[in-house]
Amino acid sequence: MTFSSRFRQGMKAAIPVWIAFVPSSVAWGIAAQSHKLTLEEVLLLSAWVYSGPAQFAVLGPLAEGKSAIQVLIAGTLMNLRFLPMSTALAPFFCGVKRLPLLFSSHVVSASSFIVPYLQFQKERDSEAHTESDPIAKGYGNLAFFLGVGVTAFIVWVAGTATGFIVARGFPAGFEEPLKFILPGYFAGLLVVEMKGRMVPLICAVSLIAALPGAAVSPEWGWLATSVVAAWVGWSLEEWNLRAAKSS
Amino acid sequence: MELTRSEIIIVLGITALAFRAVPQLYFVGEKFPEAWDRLLRYLSYALLCGIIATTLFMKGAALERDMAPYRATALVAATVVARWTKSPLSGLIVGTLLVSVFSWLK
Repeated sequence: MTFSSRFRQGMKAAIPVWIAFVPSSVAWGIAAQSHKLTLEEVLLLSAWVYSGPAQFAVLGPLAEGKSAIQVLIAGTLMNLRFLPMSTALAPFFCGVKRLPLLFSSHVVSASSFIVPYLQFQKERDSEAHTESDPIAKGYGNLAFFLGVGVTAFIVWVAGTATGFIVARGFPAGFEEPLKFILPGYFAGLLVVEMKGRMVPLICAVSLIAALPGAAVSPEWGWLATSVVAAWVGWSLEEWNLRAAKSS
Repeated sequence: MELTRSEIIIVLGITALAFRAVPQLYFVGEKFPEAWDRLLRYLSYALLCGIIATTLFMKGAALERDMAPYRATALVAATVVARWTKSPLSGLIVGTLLVSVFSWLK
C-alpha cells in the first residue's frame, strides 16, 4: 500500500475524531475570547501546544497574568500524559528516520493516539504469520498516523479560530454562559470517560479540595490539592493491587 | 525575568513537543510501566477537576458565593446529562442553558 493511500485510510478513520474535536475546539476558542486572549495567542496555543486539557489548564492563569512558572507547571503536568501515548506508538514506527518522527510526534493527542494505536494492534495480530518489510511497514504506519493526526490537528486549529470569531459576536450579558462553556464541556468529557471507582473518587476529592486550596493560595493551592488527590488515589490503588496479588 | 504570554506559550509548546517526541526518538521498543501510565492519567483527571472548580467557583482567593450554587447546579445537570446520553455536548448544552436562565433570573 502506498504512503498516500495509507494516509487516506487514516483520514477516513479520523472522521469520529474530527466530530469530537469540533465542539471542544469551538468551546475553547469561545472561552479564550472571553478571557481576552488575542487571536494570535489563541492560534499559537492551539497550533503549537495542541493539547485541549493543557490549553484549558493555562487559559485562566495566562489571561490573569499569573506567574510564568505557575502556567508552565500546570501545562507541563497536563502534558505528561503524552509520554505513555508516544511510548506506546513508538514500536509501530520501526525504521522511520528521526526527522519525520520528530515532526509527526507534534500531532500526538489523546484522540489521535487511540485510533491509530488500535488499528496498528489489530493489523499486527492479523499479520502475525506473514512476512513483510519492517521499514516499509513503519512508514505505512506513519502515513496512517499522519492521516489521523494532521487532519485532526487542522480541525482543532480551525475550530478554535472559529470559536474565537463567533464569540466576538456575542452581545453583552452572555458572560455567565461563556464562563461555563469550557469547564462544562470538560466535566462532561470526564464523566463519559470515567470507569471503575478510583477515577470518580479522585475527581470528586480534587473538585472539592481545590476550593479551600485556592482560598489558601489562589496560584498554587488547587494545583497542590489536585496532585495530592491523584497521588493518594493512585497509591491506595497500587497498595490494593499488591495486596490482592500477594494473597 | 518575566515572560510575555507568547513566550510562555512557546516554552509550553516546547515541553509538549519534548514529551511527544522523546519516547518516539529514544524509547523505541520500551514499554511504559502500566502503573505510571495510570498515575499520569489520574493526575490529568485531578488537575482538570481542580481547574473546573476554581474556574466556576472562585475569584482569586474568594468563593463566588452569589453565583456558586447556580453554577454548581448547572455543573451537576451537565455531568448527569453527559453521562446519561454518553455525549459531553448534550451535557454542555443543558448546563449552559441552565446557567443562562439562572443569570437572567438574578
